[in-house]
Amino acid sequence: MTRDTPDDTGATDGTGRERGDGSEPRASPGVPEAGRDEQPSIFVPDDGERAGGSEADESEADERPATDGGVESATGGSDSAELDPDAYDPVDVFPGGDLDLREGADSCYKCTSCDTSCPVAEVDDEFPGPKFQGPEQWRLKRKDDHDIDESITSCSNCMRCDDACPSSVPLSQMHNEARGQFVEEQMEKLSVEYVRNRILANYRTSARLASVFPRTASFAMNFGPVRWAMEKTLGIPKERDFPEFATETFREWWKARGGAQVEDPDKRVAYFHGCYSNYNTPEVGKAMVRVYEHFGYEVMVPPQKCSGTPMFANGMLKDARRHAETNVESLIEAIGEGADVIASCTSCSMSLRQEYPELFDIHGIEDVSEHTYEALEYLRIHEDLEGELAGSELADDRSYAYHAPCHARNQGLARQAVETFRDVDGVNMEDVGDSCSGISGTYGWKEEKYEKSMKIGEEMFEHMEDAEGDVGMTECPTCAMQMEHGTGYEIKHPLQLLEETVGA
Amino acid sequence: MDHQVDVVVVGGGSTGCGVVRDLARRGLDAVLVEKGNLTHGTTGRMHGLLHSGGRYAVSDQKSARECIEENRVLRDIASHCVEETGGMFVKRPEDSEEYFQEKLEGCRACDIPVEVLDGEEARRREPYLARDVEKAIALPDGAVDPFRLCVSNAADAREHGARVETHAPVTDVLVEDGEVVGVEIEHETGPGKRVHREPGTTEEIRARHVVNATGAWAGNVGEMAGVDVEVRPSKGVMTVMNTRQVDTVINRCRPKGDADIVVPHETACILGTTDEEVDDPEDYPEEEWEVDLMIETLSELVPALKDARTLRSFWGVRPLYEPPGTGTEDPTDITRDYFLLDHGDRDDLPGMTTIVGGKLTTYRMMAESISDHVCEVLGHEATCDTAEAPLPGSESDARMEELMDEFGLRSPVARRSGQRLGSRADEVLDEYDPNPIVCECEGVTRAEVQDAIGEAGSDLNAVRLRTRASMGNCQGGFCTHRIASELAREYPEPVVRDAEDELYQERWKGQRHALWGRQLSQAMLNHLLHATTMNRDGDPANLDGEVDFGAFDAGAGSGPASADADEGGDAGTAATDGGRAGDDATTDGGRAGDNATTDGGR
Repeated sequence: MTRDTPDDTGATDGTGRERGDGSEPRASPGVPEAGRDEQPSIFVPDDGERAGGSEADESEADERPATDGGVESATGGSDSAELDPDAYDPVDVFPGGDLDLREGADSCYKCTSCDTSCPVAEVDDEFPGPKFQGPEQWRLKRKDDHDIDESITSCSNCMRCDDACPSSVPLSQMHNEARGQFVEEQMEKLSVEYVRNRILANYRTSARLASVFPRTASFAMNFGPVRWAMEKTLGIPKERDFPEFATETFREWWKARGGAQVEDPDKRVAYFHGCYSNYNTPEVGKAMVRVYEHFGYEVMVPPQKCSGTPMFANGMLKDARRHAETNVESLIEAIGEGADVIASCTSCSMSLRQEYPELFDIHGIEDVSEHTYEALEYLRIHEDLEGELAGSELADDRSYAYHAPCHARNQGLARQAVETFRDVDGVNMEDVGDSCSGISGTYGWKEEKYEKSMKIGEEMFEHMEDAEGDVGMTECPTCAMQMEHGTGYEIKHPLQLLEETVGA
Repeated sequence: MDHQVDVVVVGGGSTGCGVVRDLARRGLDAVLVEKGNLTHGTTGRMHGLLHSGGRYAVSDQKSARECIEENRVLRDIASHCVEETGGMFVKRPEDSEEYFQEKLEGCRACDIPVEVLDGEEARRREPYLARDVEKAIALPDGAVDPFRLCVSNAADAREHGARVETHAPVTDVLVEDGEVVGVEIEHETGPGKRVHREPGTTEEIRARHVVNATGAWAGNVGEMAGVDVEVRPSKGVMTVMNTRQVDTVINRCRPKGDADIVVPHETACILGTTDEEVDDPEDYPEEEWEVDLMIETLSELVPALKDARTLRSFWGVRPLYEPPGTGTEDPTDITRDYFLLDHGDRDDLPGMTTIVGGKLTTYRMMAESISDHVCEVLGHEATCDTAEAPLPGSESDARMEELMDEFGLRSPVARRSGQRLGSRADEVLDEYDPNPIVCECEGVTRAEVQDAIGEAGSDLNAVRLRTRASMGNCQGGFCTHRIASELAREYPEPVVRDAEDELYQERWKGQRHALWGRQLSQAMLNHLLHATTMNRDGDPANLDGEVDFGAFDAGAGSGPASADADEGGDAGTAATDGGRAGDDATTDGGRAGDNATTDGGR
């Protein structure tokens, strides 16, 4: 299920890699791209990452064996005429490279499990629910129909419907594609809503700018009159506090410490820190590095851009694709050097694993998908974490109210934090239930969605308050924002607790 | 004696509906009688192809020319019944190049606009086509909804003074002094709209002329009049896929054969067909190999069909006819042309004309020629305008924006409703607020269902055919009861129940031929939901005698104090629950392995 979306050549030079884009400085000359041993690319300044584009890099990329057996897109590849007709799986049906997902409706039995699991439908009577947005809308669509119902923008992309479906209907893929088509074809490009959504979706861009003057930005973004103006002009609810920007980004820290401190060609991981750990909570990224180094891993920090999660949720598939091209290219290189890809944000790992191969046809994207893990998950698979933690003790007792993010749930990781710390003396980890936090990334950042977002989160807030601890814990940075916003608790990432427990 | 009308038309298929419309528009007093719903016979059991004529361009160029001519007429007068999908004749490597060229030349000779596509271009237009399709001829095939077409014709006839009686089988053809003078019909539930449980009546309709437009059943009506009409009914299977794998009509470019066409129809694709002579149009075997053949063979053109979900299959019988003595062996060789049999000339029995053969695409042309004939016989002078006058619903297109904004419909629902209702959309949708969706699969709202009930009475199959409600992937599992409950505003509960049963059974009938894979799962889910939430596996209300409501759990809130203690134990607990005896091993069926004697009683 892949496709080839032509890039918006107006926005970039057409390669989608921002190469030759005058606004971005090229990488420092003399920084070779190849060979993990030189490890230069990780030191490339963030705003110049992947800007090399040297000849050597190009030729190497071309020689890289196809990771998908050559069957990238039955309709796209030049060699496609030789394909076995039985293996033919066309998807590029609608004009403009959009996916035809009508056949996904074949698996739907109308059982409504998706609708009953949808947190938005629960609080919003106007929202027709995932069954309508997905299989029903697709089945009613024809090739020359371009209109998608506007209600698709009310879907928060929590993807709980994927998890609820007993029949593997590709619900979130259908929603993502429909939303992309709606935004592309029907949304007024000069509308406040579009501009606001584009800003929210491209959080990385704002965050990168903000982190140049982090203190000023943190202050200004939460300064009353500024917030009032933002609500009025952009529809960003003034109730929300913008996250603070770290004075030192994770990548700055990584560079300052001199990169990896453990080297082991047989035990490598490539860390996909995502935007939030880089700009806002570098302590999570640092915890990841220290914990993995404690277990003897060589950590690589390849160049990377946004995972695409906020872009999918806002239907900005072209933006997402541009970022995906960079991510796949650098991650596939790390995989080629023996690394698995580790994310500390469950939405990032979700995106690389599921949404990437569902939505894009990029060389190597299936490989990235197969090699991606969430940070705690990977350790639980490859290390004897239980043995390591059994009997360990923390100096002081503490209790956490743990919320499993929807995207963690979809990867089967909903119980991992609770299970991991079960045998640690002094840690009381309480699961606050299976409700959605309601923020769903950028969803709760929209004025018109704010009330719904808080209503969805109500159950979680109540359970958190009933829980013994007054520190929250979750893997997802935006869930963390919502948890903090609704309860005033401090929120930690399981990696931070693990760092402390193993004394890394 | 009942009053005399000018013409009685027997048979509510495309031909009969077309004839009654034409006659009514020419100012004759006409009655249409049909034994079931409109399209009950062959018309409702076809794949919905609007021929471009390409199919007949080699073997029967007269038919081909008629098809392309009428194809253009119907796009114009019946725009809300037609989807201009376009079509292709595709050639696989094993298909004859010579025939491809013959087909191409034939189409050109018949003025059918054609375009030759190479394999790449054909696949660009229809990406699910097999990769080894070499080339294709593109031509203006289309999809037509036969029911909507017939209903519109009947509605127009009614507007012009005709009477339309469905569920009114002809029980006798009245012959007096060597002349047909009318028919006797039985109104199954009384005249007018069909309403379950209304008593039946009979009626004699005397007419100056009778038109027998009963297609494959023409012999039966002929027999009542004492004349011989040798129709050779031939059955064909059609298999309905859940989604549209193709958006244009795909034909196999080869001389003739089974399973050579895929027609996109509304939300589905219909695969067709076979051609096999049968003895009785009412009773013939529906065989599994026929369905298998459709999927197997058409997968050669569209490989995705092999794994796609099949909703159901149905069979239709073609009313093939050939003049006595022709003696064609293979039904596929029998002409698709139509024949007008004036029984006065042919059998010395004036007063009746039979029409046989023909095809849906040319129904209007046939109706015109029959009407010409009837007018001549009756000495009535009037010109035919059916090729220019739009059918009700096709006067203009439905406006999408209005449907969405004014009536609050979501865009795919608005689009499909607009297509079904055409220019009637405004008046129909204006009736109901709120207007929830009743059938989710096909996006049918309450207003549309109520509109159909207004026309069809409690006959939910007629509602289904008018709206497509219950024709999607759940096949009525999630909507039959909702549709039926729309009847409850007007009809008493027993009528609603009967109507619901009838629709649900009809939906089940076609699914019996699709019980594997995903439709089997759907059928099981439907069954269990209906059994467990609506008692449809043994509804007490359907049993004879009084229901002993006292035997039921009194429900929450009633409390043990208020319950009768003599109803077989403490009414506050579920006394009939065998599973509750957890710690009494002798009554527990789950542990009956070591105590078989007590298990039998449960």
